[in-house]
Amino acid sequence: MAILAAWRAARVTPLGELHTPPRMTAALLRLAVQVVLVASLWHGLYARTGTTAGLSRDQAVTYAVLAVLASRLRALDQYAGRDTVIQHMHFGTIVYWYLRPLSPQRYYALRALGEQLYGLAWAVAGYAVCLWTAVVTPPGSAAVAGVFALSLLLGQWILYYVMLAIDQLCFFTLRNSAAMLILVFAQNLLSGVYAPLWFFPDWFVTLSAFLPFQATLSVPLSLYVGRIPLSDAGPALLVQAVWVAVLALFTRLVWRLAARRVISQGG
Amino acid sequence: MAVKTVRLAWRITRLNFRAQLEYRSEFLMMVAIGAVWQVSVIVFATVLLTRFSGMGGWDSSDVLLIPATRMLAHGLFVLFLGRMHGIGYFIQEGKIDVCLVRPMSVHLQVQLRIFPTNAIGDLTVAVGLMAGALSRSELDWTAGRTSYLIVAVLGGMFLEAALFTAVASAALRFPAADYWGRWLEELLGTFGSYPLNVLPKAVGGFLTYGLPLAFVAYFPAAVLTGHGDSTGVPYWLAAVSPLLGLLAYLGSRLLWRWSLGHYTGVNG
Repeated sequence: MAILAAWRAARVTPLGELHTPPRMTAALLRLAVQVVLVASLWHGLYARTGTTAGLSRDQAVTYAVLAVLASRLRALDQYAGRDTVIQHMHFGTIVYWYLRPLSPQRYYALRALGEQLYGLAWAVAGYAVCLWTAVVTPPGSAAVAGVFALSLLLGQWILYYVMLAIDQLCFFTLRNSAAMLILVFAQNLLSGVYAPLWFFPDWFVTLSAFLPFQATLSVPLSLYVGRIPLSDAGPALLVQAVWVAVLALFTRLVWRLAARRVISQGG
Repeated sequence: MAVKTVRLAWRITRLNFRAQLEYRSEFLMMVAIGAVWQVSVIVFATVLLTRFSGMGGWDSSDVLLIPATRMLAHGLFVLFLGRMHGIGYFIQEGKIDVCLVRPMSVHLQVQLRIFPTNAIGDLTVAVGLMAGALSRSELDWTAGRTSYLIVAVLGGMFLEAALFTAVASAALRFPAADYWGRWLEELLGTFGSYPLNVLPKAVGGFLTYGLPLAFVAYFPAAVLTGHGDSTGVPYWLAAVSPLLGLLAYLGSRLLWRWSLGHYTGVNG
């Protein structure tokens, strides 16, 4: 029974997307064009260069294309679903999250799980096409593929907590639009979406090592393309696991503080 | 009548600005986001220019002129004409219906609905980048070249406005079209800032004739820096980019007016 309830909550967003063909078509076209453009750009950049920053052309193209595909994992138009924290705070309907026989934490987590599984379906389909057309290279070995999958899972888990923390900000500041945009920027820059972190100066790489963003994408993709060898995978996975634990505790604490601020019908 | 409209628009803008100041931290963060968003383009461009020897045969100082032009055009677009972007929810929530019964142009009402705080950050970084690009430039900045740069920035602003006005026109009938606007913004930010001859011809052709991003900054910068013959389009076409931007904007306004005439709203 609990699983059925969880399934019903998790499938809300994917069902909403499946019933909006223009958004599905747009997502497909956007992903296809973005992959072609990014692959073309990196091929063009490597036209007169060999290995740069320890990355060969195939590694750089694979990294960049996988970064585009991974960005689909949480690229949903959540605002269109009208179930974001900021919308509920604005309209005062956040109180209903606290009146259901399902805790807000659980509800939020289930919705996010559904969204990420839906995004994963897009990413996997895109990956299969890219692999088939040789746009990306396959992982070096089965072991690399396994470690990459585990690292990607941990990375998405960290990303979930980071997004949650920004949403929780609404309980205290009412608005989080600017914080969300700054987060998206920080996530894209410090996780290596704009360009692999290996291309950046040493001080930048050192700085990003102290933040959770690089653990969301840069680590799994570096493992995939072989920039982080399997022998160094253990420490990288450990850092990801530590971030998961730290952010889980932090967001759990904030859920408690947030609950005290929710006011129903004026008092 | 025109003076009255300008006065009213100015008063509404002042009120919108004060409304934005109500949430101080959000206001400051919106200024910051405008800045950091543009810094991301600079970071990416700097990393690429450092790691790779030039782009498409362009010197780094010449390449910098592309993002500088695009950013300045984008900042002006956000400040003056940017509210057409993201209008889908405005339409979806029926707020545009209210605009239809007021004695003011719907387009102007849409533009006045909020003060674009992030434009402050956008323009600050854009002006800084343009100053940096001009100081590094070895070109002789004659009156003609300077005038062309100013016209190119304005043309880029109009072209960007034309693209988002076309999307907004589509959103009057299909609110989900708003999604295309965000994609367009992403494409402009990512591929509007580099020499497109680094891309394969088919892809460059798509960004020229399919989505005319090349006309925003790449072609004008190519003309200014002497790369006008290697853009893959006739020199004259690259040179008239600013004029095309203006014509595209006028066309998009006609499209907006036509779409508004056919807008039915929820109640038909």
